[in-house]
Amino acid sequence: MIQVSGLQKTFHDRKKGDVHAVQGVSFTCRPGQVFGLLGRNGAGKTTTLRMLATILVPTGGTATVAGFDIVEKSADVRRRIGYLSGETKLYDRLTGRELLQYFGALAGMTATAVAARIGELTERFALTELLDVRVGKMSTGMKQRLSITRVVFHDPEVMIFDEPTAGLDVIAARSVLALIVDLKRQGRTIIYSTHIMTEAERICDEVAIIERGKILAHGSLESIRNQSASRSLEDVFVEVVTGVGGGSNGDR
Amino acid sequence: MTARWTAVFRKEIIDTLRDQRTIFAIFIFPFLLYPAMLTLLSWIETKNDEESKLLSVRVGIVGEAEIPGLREWIAKTPGATPVTLDRAPERLEDANVNAVFVVPPGVEAAMARGDSVKVELLYMDADNKSSAASQRLSPILDDIERSLTVSWARSLGARAEAAPPVSVDRRDISSKTDKGRFFAALLIPYLLVFMVAAGAMQTAIDATTGEKERSTLETLLSTAASRGDLVMGKAFAVLAASITGAVTGITGLWLTFNVVAKVVPGMEQGSLQITIGADKALLLFLTLLPTAVFLSAVLVAIGCFARSMREGQTYASYVYMGSVFLGLGSFGQQTPSQSRFFIPILNTALLQREILTDTVNSLHAVTAIGVTTGLAILMLIIATRLFSNETVLFRT
Repeated sequence: MIQVSGLQKTFHDRKKGDVHAVQGVSFTCRPGQVFGLLGRNGAGKTTTLRMLATILVPTGGTATVAGFDIVEKSADVRRRIGYLSGETKLYDRLTGRELLQYFGALAGMTATAVAARIGELTERFALTELLDVRVGKMSTGMKQRLSITRVVFHDPEVMIFDEPTAGLDVIAARSVLALIVDLKRQGRTIIYSTHIMTEAERICDEVAIIERGKILAHGSLESIRNQSASRSLEDVFVEVVTGVGGGSNGDR
Repeated sequence: MTARWTAVFRKEIIDTLRDQRTIFAIFIFPFLLYPAMLTLLSWIETKNDEESKLLSVRVGIVGEAEIPGLREWIAKTPGATPVTLDRAPERLEDANVNAVFVVPPGVEAAMARGDSVKVELLYMDADNKSSAASQRLSPILDDIERSLTVSWARSLGARAEAAPPVSVDRRDISSKTDKGRFFAALLIPYLLVFMVAAGAMQTAIDATTGEKERSTLETLLSTAASRGDLVMGKAFAVLAASITGAVTGITGLWLTFNVVAKVVPGMEQGSLQITIGADKALLLFLTLLPTAVFLSAVLVAIGCFARSMREGQTYASYVYMGSVFLGLGSFGQQTPSQSRFFIPILNTALLQREILTDTVNSLHAVTAIGVTTGLAILMLIIATRLFSNETVLFRT
């Protein structure tokens, strides 16, 4: 479960002064649910997710992840999350196996547990072809498959995906989405940011549209779609972020 | 038509001039680093000269009665104490002196017969104190020659210009081993500092700034590992690379002086004979450890601060140059004062020189190791703070 209440993040820039990247964001994401955070580039999606992953410290508001406060209990939060960003890369000089062993060790797993976990995940993620190949020699799709394996490797309750299909071809992107749906079915709490509306329509149960650090609309896919005559999420998104059509509802 | 290369040239110049790091490296850094380093080296050199003048030396005299006034001339030389000896020692330390005047018996009689006369100042060029003593006593060589010549002329009523040849010279009595030890003590500490810095540089920047540049940092920061764990792991990896540099350096030097020198024709017969025992090699390694930790921590801190590999490598190269300058500062130090052992890197080079010349001063050793260890811990704390500071980690 992720509970976010009035979360804020202000960066200080020498030239621009204070930049309010996230301004009072609130939402709840439940187990077995994919919560979509939709927004344009620079809308505040990544900053919000980085705060939930305890990479950044909020300047206001509160949030709990898996029951732990992201500021007070950041170490407990990190033990229970898997974080993947589309911009995130892997270590080119490690093999797939070495990479999983490394992140397993960072998660506090023993060598035996790591070996057992690799065995468990090999079939599900088709790891055989990845384990003994250096990351630098893998295709983009293989790397992303390994990245997802890395995210689920320590069996986290909560998964945070920040535009995980960025830069992937259609086939690779579909396989990533399929894996996320599979994780949802297993009862994981998943938060997923994207600016690709078709992806959100495919996998999200609930979405929030964020613009300039503020959530402008929030609700189930159905309730959001109902804001537009076209019943297209993309149309609603455009209307909301550009202010055209004045689309709004009580969920906003 | 404007040539295409000029367009490329123009673009590259604009690109370069808009890169703050390049501006700093080309236009600002030289005006900061070089004056600072020159000031430091000048200060060290001035201090060396001052200390050299204050150095107390014992000067042996063999055949004191042959040249009246010689003892007084020595006594008037600042810091010099004359010591009467029966015969010239084979080694200066046998007579506990730093230099010896050797006047052969029957000098006046020999000159009266028209024989040439040879007076020597024995010293060891491979010993800083002895070398300093010989420099300070140089004016006396002229006094001796003048005294013998004038004395001969007066006794015979002749002109001084007609006196038989009088040779008054300095003679270096350093053995091949002494020279080898001196050479090793001069060069090895500097080389080791240089190797440690070079070994740490690449790994430090790759392990820290490399995470930012490769976009692996976010993933790392979202794991259960604490920032302290991450910095410690990286610092130890850098330390391992640095120590590997030092170990291969010591091994390479040991092989060169103990194995290669014995099989390469000419080297064994050369004027130097350098041997490094296993005990000294171990001591060199142990004294190098705090400096390796210090340099590793400094480079990790720099790596955490830098925005890109290029920026990190630029900063690291400044650290490297600073280390080289400080290592160079150990050259030409006679008997360095305690204050010199508070300067990191320089203190290690000086301590290692004491190890190689069997002149270890325990206070110097404690100061050098204590100061460097303290600074290493401080730099590790700074590196951890920088790695925990999101403004630093995610600055653009």
